[in-house]
Amino acid sequence: MTQPTPASTLAHGSPAKSAVAERLAEIVGARHVLSRPSELLVYNSDGLPGYRRQPRLAVFPGTRDETIAVVRLLAGEGLPFVPRGAGTGLSGGALADDIVVIGLHRLKKIIALDVENRRATVEPGVVNLRLNKHVAPYGLLYAPDPSSEAACTIGGNVAENAGGPHCLKYGVTLNHVLAMTVLLPSGDVVELGSRIGERDGYDLRGAFIGSEGCFGLALDITVKLTPRPQTVRTLLADFMSVDAAAHATSAIIASGIVPAALEFMDGPTIRVVEDSIYAAGYPRDAEAILLIELDGLEAGVSADLEAVRRICLDGGARNVKVARDDAERLKLWQGRKKAFGAMGRLAPHLIVQDAVIPRTRLPEILETIHRISEKYGVVVCNVFHAGDGNLHPNIAYSADDPAESERVHKAMTEIMRACIDAGGSITGEHGVGLDKMGYMESIFSESSLNAMCELRGVFDPERRSNPGKVVPIHACKEWNAVSGDRLRMDASLSEPRPLEAEPAHPSAQ
Amino acid sequence: MSTEAVVSAIKDSAQARTPLRIAGRSTWLDAGRPVRADKTLSLRDDSGVVGYVPGDLTLTVRAGTPLSEIERVTHEHGQWLPLDPYGSADGTIGATLATASAGPLASSFGLPRDLLLGLEFVNGRGDVVRGGGKVVKNVAGFDLSRLLTGAWGTLGVITEVTLRLYAVPSVDRTFAVRLDGGEREMASLIRAIITSPLSPYAVLLLNASAAHAARLGERPVCLIRFGGNDAVVRAQVNALSQIARIQELETDVWMRIRRLDGDAHTTIRVVSLPQRFLAASARILGENVPGIHTCIDPRRGVLRIIVGAADDEDGDGLNAVIGGSQDLQIEGADASEVIFERLPADVWREVSPSVVSDELSQRIKRAFDPHHILNPGILGD
Repeated sequence: MTQPTPASTLAHGSPAKSAVAERLAEIVGARHVLSRPSELLVYNSDGLPGYRRQPRLAVFPGTRDETIAVVRLLAGEGLPFVPRGAGTGLSGGALADDIVVIGLHRLKKIIALDVENRRATVEPGVVNLRLNKHVAPYGLLYAPDPSSEAACTIGGNVAENAGGPHCLKYGVTLNHVLAMTVLLPSGDVVELGSRIGERDGYDLRGAFIGSEGCFGLALDITVKLTPRPQTVRTLLADFMSVDAAAHATSAIIASGIVPAALEFMDGPTIRVVEDSIYAAGYPRDAEAILLIELDGLEAGVSADLEAVRRICLDGGARNVKVARDDAERLKLWQGRKKAFGAMGRLAPHLIVQDAVIPRTRLPEILETIHRISEKYGVVVCNVFHAGDGNLHPNIAYSADDPAESERVHKAMTEIMRACIDAGGSITGEHGVGLDKMGYMESIFSESSLNAMCELRGVFDPERRSNPGKVVPIHACKEWNAVSGDRLRMDASLSEPRPLEAEPAHPSAQ
Repeated sequence: MSTEAVVSAIKDSAQARTPLRIAGRSTWLDAGRPVRADKTLSLRDDSGVVGYVPGDLTLTVRAGTPLSEIERVTHEHGQWLPLDPYGSADGTIGATLATASAGPLASSFGLPRDLLLGLEFVNGRGDVVRGGGKVVKNVAGFDLSRLLTGAWGTLGVITEVTLRLYAVPSVDRTFAVRLDGGEREMASLIRAIITSPLSPYAVLLLNASAAHAARLGERPVCLIRFGGNDAVVRAQVNALSQIARIQELETDVWMRIRRLDGDAHTTIRVVSLPQRFLAASARILGENVPGIHTCIDPRRGVLRIIVGAADDEDGDGLNAVIGGSQDLQIEGADASEVIFERLPADVWREVSPSVVSDELSQRIKRAFDPHHILNPGILGD
């Protein structure tokens, strides 16, 4: 293996960029390495356009072996990198600030499908929906269904521990991943978890899932598949007040019925969706709708359907409509799943939060959000996984208007504060990334953050994989109290190490 | 006992380099695991509910709270924690999570790691650490909760946990199907039950010895538990009765099943692909060695072999069982995992490999318990 290049050579400018780019091109082919700023623009944000970081290089390995070779090359050079799937994340997570992006979307083989034992092994770049289409003919499904399912990858889902509407009943990515082959930032390859299902020892699988690219990257992932339910019924309940819909949600959860999904959309969201090409036939004059899905054995679903309908009507629903067939069901879902996209109609930029609150606090928190939006004169669109208490307040705005931006950010901070005060979490499924790192100290103590730093240090002692995300560096005790060498490393991570001589610093060398 | 008391006990031990055995109420399987510690840190007195809002279907309790107490508290509100690990219900939730112990309900409700929302623990330096949270969905920060689950107390002492609850189903019924006849008939009956479009809470196959110990007769038996609303249970009971002759049992049979281990000196868990068990179940159940219980959860893909609960087995019996469990590896080395839950202490040293010998696990151990004072030896480390 290549000896690490002394940091000083890189920091003060060797022809390293071209050298590294050329060597990466030797591994993956020249057309799979991007280094021109104009080509790299596409990779400067994820699904949250409010954060932009320009990568220095992007490399797209096409095979497992190429991926290993790329990471080993970067390890040899001591260079930091950011793994990236489809770039649909909503946390500013897969951003490479002047460092290397490793795009994994070319690793898209479905390696194995075991119908009898209901499991599949896939490469990280396999798109979530593609896996589902692949297994559907066998009467199976892969349960986690983020709204970005048509584009997001299983590797990205693992990194973020992605959720989705149906996680209410079926659980999140963590509950469906059995094992992974992981490429550590050092270039070492390890097997985590068990393809069989259970094993002894530390749950390294569980530790890796949701590590947001900070522990390395998955080369293959073995997931559990779920039998398609015998019956699926979808209801749309509409309400003339947000409060009534919130109370109905709490009542359904308290009843003990576990719907497959229980989604909430408020008036502003309904109208944005209905104005868009995703119009689903939602009642435009409603102040809130609940989209509720029940599934399972026919006999049980019918009884639960009746109970849920009753709870909604008793709770003040104006109307409860049950989709008559699959076409109608899918149309109702289309409006929900494309709601983020539809908000593009309102303003060029969108900010979205992902806080989770205890489900009994829903009515009160929605009222608080309303109050905050009025205080700052912003329009909040609420479209979220109500059954889990997982809020998604969205504000569409123009980032080019500084005064508006400031009001929007103040409103979002206040909303987050209210959710934290209610005993909630800062993120239910989008991840911390850059976006919520500032809130980590509000919910975790110094020693808890330090334990997370230590866990990260186990997988990535040099902290080269997705540096500067999730846990604020200053929260990591050991990382601060270190020798000069380590400090130089920290500095290079917060201000990423240039890969080439900066022309502005002619004194280099 | 409180978190502060645990902190001070650990700090003292860290300073004096005195290893600690971490215990809940010490009712759990002793497991014969060779812990090198003279002192025991018991969570027995650190019990009770910290927070419970029934409408949220979440519960926060101190780690020393017995499962039976959780059951009592949640039942008052028509709720339950669907976790039925083998052993006594007097065992603590902390020990259940630390050992990742699960029972027949796991095939429907998940393993302990799936029901855990967050926890507080004290690491080997005496730092109080929290992972996860108190809400049902949470990806904030790296996942320390999963890491501590199944770590057998070697990374930290769990002091408090938050769990996901479910509503008690309005109907909860259990049925027995006698597995009479020869191996072939048994196999086709098992296959018919498992592959039918039923959605039971639990399915468990017992050999004759286990059936006898659970007072279920002298022949292998299949237990099936249905839960849910009246309509869904009725429909499934009807469907099952089309497949096999069924006999209804009181649900307390599951408590007897949990206690099957009794005074057994050896319990081995073999995990394999569910389909493999479907093929092998009839053969495994048919081989009746007196004093050896076998229980198969075919949907979860788990076989438990319990030795010495009824009669004292000699070394030959034990060897036969260990050899037999390895028979499941017919189609390659990665076809099954053999997990030793409990072994006689002397045998343990001979057969149990370290399950945390890989580089990552070693580094995790050093990071969380740098002085190696928490349950040293329990994972063969």
